[in-house]
Amino acid sequence: MNRRLGKTNIKILVAVFVAIAIAVVAIVRLDTTGKKGSGLGKEFIYDVKDLAKIDPNLILYEETGAIGTGFKVARGIAVGFDGHVYVAGDKSIRVVFGSHWLPDDIKLADMPMCLTVTGDGKIYVGFKDHVEIYDGQGKRLATWQSLGDDAVLTSIAVSKNDVFVADAGNRIVVHYDTAGKLINRIGARDKDKNIPGFVVPSPYFDLAVARDGLLRVTNPGNHRIEAYTFEGDLEFSWGQFSAGVKGFCGCCNPVNFAILQDESFVTCEKGLVRIKIYDPAGVFVGAVAGPEQLVQEGTSRICETAAECQTGSFDVAVDTRGRIFVLDTIKNVVRIFTRIKEE
Amino acid sequence: MAENKNGINRRHFLRDGLWAACLTGLGGTAGFLSKKTNAQNTVWQIDPEICVACGNCATYCVQEESAVKCVHAYAVCGYCRICFGFFGPEPHDINEGAENQLCPTGAIKRTFVEDPYYQYTIDEPLCMGCGKCVKGCNTFGNGSLFLQVRHDRCLNCNECSIAAACPSGAFKRVPADKPYLLKRVDRA
Repeated sequence: MNRRLGKTNIKILVAVFVAIAIAVVAIVRLDTTGKKGSGLGKEFIYDVKDLAKIDPNLILYEETGAIGTGFKVARGIAVGFDGHVYVAGDKSIRVVFGSHWLPDDIKLADMPMCLTVTGDGKIYVGFKDHVEIYDGQGKRLATWQSLGDDAVLTSIAVSKNDVFVADAGNRIVVHYDTAGKLINRIGARDKDKNIPGFVVPSPYFDLAVARDGLLRVTNPGNHRIEAYTFEGDLEFSWGQFSAGVKGFCGCCNPVNFAILQDESFVTCEKGLVRIKIYDPAGVFVGAVAGPEQLVQEGTSRICETAAECQTGSFDVAVDTRGRIFVLDTIKNVVRIFTRIKEE
Repeated sequence: MAENKNGINRRHFLRDGLWAACLTGLGGTAGFLSKKTNAQNTVWQIDPEICVACGNCATYCVQEESAVKCVHAYAVCGYCRICFGFFGPEPHDINEGAENQLCPTGAIKRTFVEDPYYQYTIDEPLCMGCGKCVKGCNTFGNGSLFLQVRHDRCLNCNECSIAAACPSGAFKRVPADKPYLLKRVDRA
């Protein structure tokens, strides 16, 4: 009788022990902190790491320098004919020569959105809704009329007697003379003139005047760069959507561009931040840098939070030596890229 | 019974002790009720500016179908033809074919508005809150798609299991009379 009772007790003890062991294992394995991930299948994971890779043979430039802007928010970059680099941000303009910032900032009343520098040293600054002109010493020379509450000026270009302003808010290019008199508006949708209209989903809308005398304007929603006469006729366009390196990726790219001395284009894309070179006809030539070159904390630059993603649209400028200046608006540094000499 | 030198005898001690216990109990009850009232006045919500759309919202909710769903801030949306919240990173074609879509459950509907604009709407019963579209929209677009705790579904647990598993600390308590943290146009 006692032996049977003893056997029963042992069985109960073993069962209790096993139950406790299972409970302990279950508690230990239970992930309440999320460290083991969501447990979702591969189809639920958003992965663009492969797209971030650019064939090293296509990379034609190397980073040869970087200068911190000292800005909390940097918005635009331009290179003057004197070789000075001008950076706009935090209600001021800073000027760098060589590798040093000039001591005196140009103070502005409001946050600048874009800028350009003319051959005679005048600085045209685009604010949200209007343009101001400064001399090299920071003296304000002119303030132009507001383009209204909806205006969001994102780029400005000057060509001898003409000034062009990209208004992302109204999705139009405004053409002025150098005295600030409005001449015409370029790029409004017009079926008769075969103008598709600008598609600008986010406030990135760039323009420049090329040496061929035509205005080049991004049409990011259509993944193109379009060429217009100063009168507003669309001459031609190039560019296409593609996740591959030869095209423009994402909903709306390119966001910024600059024109090199040989009339080829330097384009910058947001999302997967890619800086690339296209020849004057729009044929892909190679890359300056991609997410793997613009690394952030050791990994390819692919943004995570909304705030980070929305600030990751880099402005670009070029100098007469063919160097490319990239305004990294996340780290707030000017990155300098120089063409790798062909052996 | 001899009087204590300090004037404290057993009766006084018991009386004072009873008073102290009553006051402590009263305080505790008030504190408990206050905490409970406070908890009832707040609800869980995701801060879309901090959320990294990791996918944990889809699987860590105590409910079988997560209380977290994708929502769309139309004022922030660019109505893009090629929306990367809707299309996969390398779509075969730019149309609504299932093979081109990013959402594994097909929870986003694409509707033509006018050339070249399209509207994107969330089919909530199909959305499981994985945040895949949020990542695509954040990375390439304006970030108009984002995750929110839907309060018609949320049990408002005291200890939210998704909040515990949130790697970016995006889950927070917000006033119940302002239960959503919506995206603003000026931040887009």
